[in-house]
Amino acid sequence: MMTDIQTILPVAIVLSSLIPGLLIFSLKESQHRLRITLNLAGVFSKLLLVGWMLHGVSQGQQFSFSITFLPGADLILQGDALSLQFVALSSVLWLATTIYAIGYLEGSAFRSRFFGYFSLCVSATVGLALAGNLVTFLVFYELLTLATFPLVVHRGTDAAIRAGKVYLAYTVSGGVLVLMGVALLHALAGTPDFIPGGYLSPVVDQHQAGLTLAFVLMVLGLGVKAALLPVHGWLPQAMVAPAPVSALLHAVAVVKAGAFGIIRLVYDVYGIETLSILQLTQGLMILAAATIIYGSIRALQQTEIKKRLAYSTVSQVSYITLGVAMLGPIAAIGALVHLVHQGLMKITLFFCAGNFAETLNIHHIREMNGLGQRMPLTMAAFTVGALGMIGVPPIAGFISKWYLGLGALETGQPWILWVFVGSGLLNAAYFLPLLYRGWFAKPAVEWAAHPQARRPASVWNETHWMLLWPTLFTALLAIVTGILAGSDFSPLAWAQLIVAREFAP
Amino acid sequence: MNAALVSMVVPFFAAMLVLMWRPRQQSWLVIVASIVSLLAAVMALLSVIDSGPQSLNLGGWESPLAIRFQLMPVNALLIVTTAVIHLIVVCFAASSHHCQPIKQAFWPLALLLHGSLVALWLSMDLFNWYVTLELLGLAAVALVTLAGQKALRAALDYLLLSLFASLTYLLGVVMLYGQYGTLDIALLATLTEADRVTQTALLLISAGLMLKAALWPLHLWLPAAHSSAPTPVSALLSALVVKAPLFILWLLWSRVAPSELAVPMGFWLALLGGGALLIGGWSACRTPHLKTLVAYSTVAQLGYGLLALGLLLHWQLNDLQAALWLFVVAHAMAKTSMFLAAGEIQAATGKKRLNSLRGMTLTMPVALFAFAVAGGSLIGLPPSGGFIAKWLLIQPMLIEPAYWPWALLVIIATLLSAAYVFRVVSQGFRQSSVSATASEHGKSAQWLALLPAILVWLMALFSEPLLQLMDVFSA
Amino acid sequence: MTLSLQLFLATGGILWLTGLYGLWRNSDPIRRIISLNIMGSGVFLVMVTLARRETSTDPVLHALVVTGLVVAVSATAFALRLAVASQQEKR
Repeated sequence: MMTDIQTILPVAIVLSSLIPGLLIFSLKESQHRLRITLNLAGVFSKLLLVGWMLHGVSQGQQFSFSITFLPGADLILQGDALSLQFVALSSVLWLATTIYAIGYLEGSAFRSRFFGYFSLCVSATVGLALAGNLVTFLVFYELLTLATFPLVVHRGTDAAIRAGKVYLAYTVSGGVLVLMGVALLHALAGTPDFIPGGYLSPVVDQHQAGLTLAFVLMVLGLGVKAALLPVHGWLPQAMVAPAPVSALLHAVAVVKAGAFGIIRLVYDVYGIETLSILQLTQGLMILAAATIIYGSIRALQQTEIKKRLAYSTVSQVSYITLGVAMLGPIAAIGALVHLVHQGLMKITLFFCAGNFAETLNIHHIREMNGLGQRMPLTMAAFTVGALGMIGVPPIAGFISKWYLGLGALETGQPWILWVFVGSGLLNAAYFLPLLYRGWFAKPAVEWAAHPQARRPASVWNETHWMLLWPTLFTALLAIVTGILAGSDFSPLAWAQLIVAREFAP
Repeated sequence: MNAALVSMVVPFFAAMLVLMWRPRQQSWLVIVASIVSLLAAVMALLSVIDSGPQSLNLGGWESPLAIRFQLMPVNALLIVTTAVIHLIVVCFAASSHHCQPIKQAFWPLALLLHGSLVALWLSMDLFNWYVTLELLGLAAVALVTLAGQKALRAALDYLLLSLFASLTYLLGVVMLYGQYGTLDIALLATLTEADRVTQTALLLISAGLMLKAALWPLHLWLPAAHSSAPTPVSALLSALVVKAPLFILWLLWSRVAPSELAVPMGFWLALLGGGALLIGGWSACRTPHLKTLVAYSTVAQLGYGLLALGLLLHWQLNDLQAALWLFVVAHAMAKTSMFLAAGEIQAATGKKRLNSLRGMTLTMPVALFAFAVAGGSLIGLPPSGGFIAKWLLIQPMLIEPAYWPWALLVIIATLLSAAYVFRVVSQGFRQSSVSATASEHGKSAQWLALLPAILVWLMALFSEPLLQLMDVFSA
Repeated sequence: MTLSLQLFLATGGILWLTGLYGLWRNSDPIRRIISLNIMGSGVFLVMVTLARRETSTDPVLHALVVTGLVVAVSATAFALRLAVASQQEKR
């Protein structure tokens, strides 16, 4: 039996950011307090609702809401274990980013517009995580594209507009491919709800060509957001956006939306059985592996901090795709947990980059010399994120790479281990010099003489507290999820729950 | 049926009243007339849903002499759409400051246009369509001339082409009458045979209609006429007037033409639709002027209608009717929004070029938002009316691998439409060199521009009843 | 259908085509309006001829011709006024 709460809760989670967002649009620039209140009210009510649903799903309750939409395809919002993994991640990081953004944008123009679209983005992300079938997923996927565009071009400079156009060219094309894929699957098999094991096996003999084309279309389309190899080009360009946007959207929400779509497609639409018949995952695996290596090599070539982080994202998100494409339960755990862990670490790194830029106007790697003396806390957070990315225990990144490696062995694909080793070495090669410069190199100018800032009074004042605290918070989370991975409430435990349900016979 | 007649007669009557009596509060009279017409249209729609199609022989003549009006779900929907758009446009004209100078002449002509359109939707008679098309054409040209001296040349070209198209249409109609001795669509449908005379007649009629609807490659007059007209007029022309010939074309080929002629013709119509999509879209991406861009987008979007019509005929798939008419309705709403927003922006900046949009997110946020939201439906982003229509259109294309090239065409067309919509929107986000602040000026007009864009997105929520309506019809 | 009727029909067709040619070749508004009227006459000629194809005259076609004439006259008047106005603008 569904109670009222069980139907309303999924909608309420989407609305908890959508309504404040729409209200914020109508505010005047000067209504500073009200805007912050609305933002925080949205954030905390969403966290509360998500916590409620997490509890319910872990107890085995069903949450589902539907309204009629297209013939044979209703709009369905539902909460299952997989969707909650993503919802919980985006809600928690939305909290951190909101505070960060308030501090970051203090006194700048267009704040109502910024926070309005920002809330819309979060709503779209949560909506696509909660989507109960492909058509609903499509709706939110396209909304996410639209809502992100104003944030990329937020600064309104020529460079921003140019980057925005590149962003749109990629994501709208990707969106059209996804639309075509969804429509093709609908034509072949209708659009039932997502179901563990997929729903396409009855038509696989009849429509081999159609299903293959649909998979290629969908993976290419979703691959745009997930920054897979031939279609990753927008991500480094989009770094022109303000730091909170890069942090939440381009490290977490948007790229993960693509990766999450691929997860849904593989597990809940096609299903492992069908994909093995069609033999489609080998190509996906090779593509993901190539992206991992290529992204790392490109990261190594970058001299700007944010650009290096962006290529690192290109590389790291493909770990998820790779883990999914292996089609084994252990690799799946690795992929699902990496979705969370990579998000925590990458957002920390972007916050740090934002702090450097905001406080000391540092954008390039060569300017990082001796930064640890001036901003020790931010530099420490940066170190946590970087080491986690490399895969140093006990930080979260180690856990996911461990499971991914085990998964590669379990599915009999040992060559993937070499990809991981190579990528790990490359990670080290592009992150360790930054850490060395920050902690051990001598600053080019004495920090006291730096034009941008005086020596702070205490260590906690190295930058604005609204910039510092979210950074430390996410860094701490990255460590805690790593250390407490074995506990019942960790992302790892949740990933195991998902896999137990997805791979149940 | 009576409600539909009221919806038609009220605008005519109000037009006479405004012309002859010249009351002081003209705008209120016009708005009230539009509201009454809308209410009547809604009642007509409800009565069709309730009791099915209804017909009326004017003057009580029996067929085959009678001029017949028929109310079906499709034209009931079109009558409602017409009334909604007229109401919004009339309110816009009443509240927008830059429409002040044209009002005197605008009111009666707009009402005349409204009445003629409803009469056209209701008619089921080849010659009555000729008369209503002429009424429509004359009212439309007169409306274009309201923009003043600079629009006269475009108006004259529009008029001459429209008259030429009417005569081409009329020659075809006369040939059909000579062959079969009736003008009634339902009767003709039972009589027609696939002979040479019928084919020539149908082709002549189609050529005339396609010219009037600005269907590619007969579209060259449209961008000049639609972009030089006053803003509310542009909206009416692009949203409604060009759809009228499409309606006749649909009835003609799907009802009157024997399938031996309709199937091959469908292929060519679909191909022309594809051409419209590609070339119209490309031109919209190239033009430096805002309103011309919107006008070219009409050329492109009409291509969807033609594509749906062509494939409907070619594959003999009645399901595509829903796609065709949802396209028409969704485009009508979205295009109204776009033209009103574009016109309001152009009036505020005083410039026609696209780069005058700099900083519009700050100075005219609502107008730019309206443009973007309407553009979303034109691109076919979910969940909008345009998306539903596109979804219905591509479903049959995807089921057979042999039809996939058509789907590819739709992909390219979608990308082109995204390109020209975002060309405008991204300009709005560009930093303005002059520091401007949000002006209170024209606030209500901007919100009115947003209204149809919101309606077209709401269509998605009511897609189920809309589709049921279409199903009732095709059954 | 008798030979004379066919001759009338052909004349109507030729008039229509002549008008079409004139419309295509001329750029002067007045000439184009006249061309349109020639086209119209062609159509009307076809109509009155068809009215005689049976032994009794077909009144429907006559009614249509009358309506068509009314439309043509008013449209021509409007077009002439527009042509004059756009000429004035040029000067």
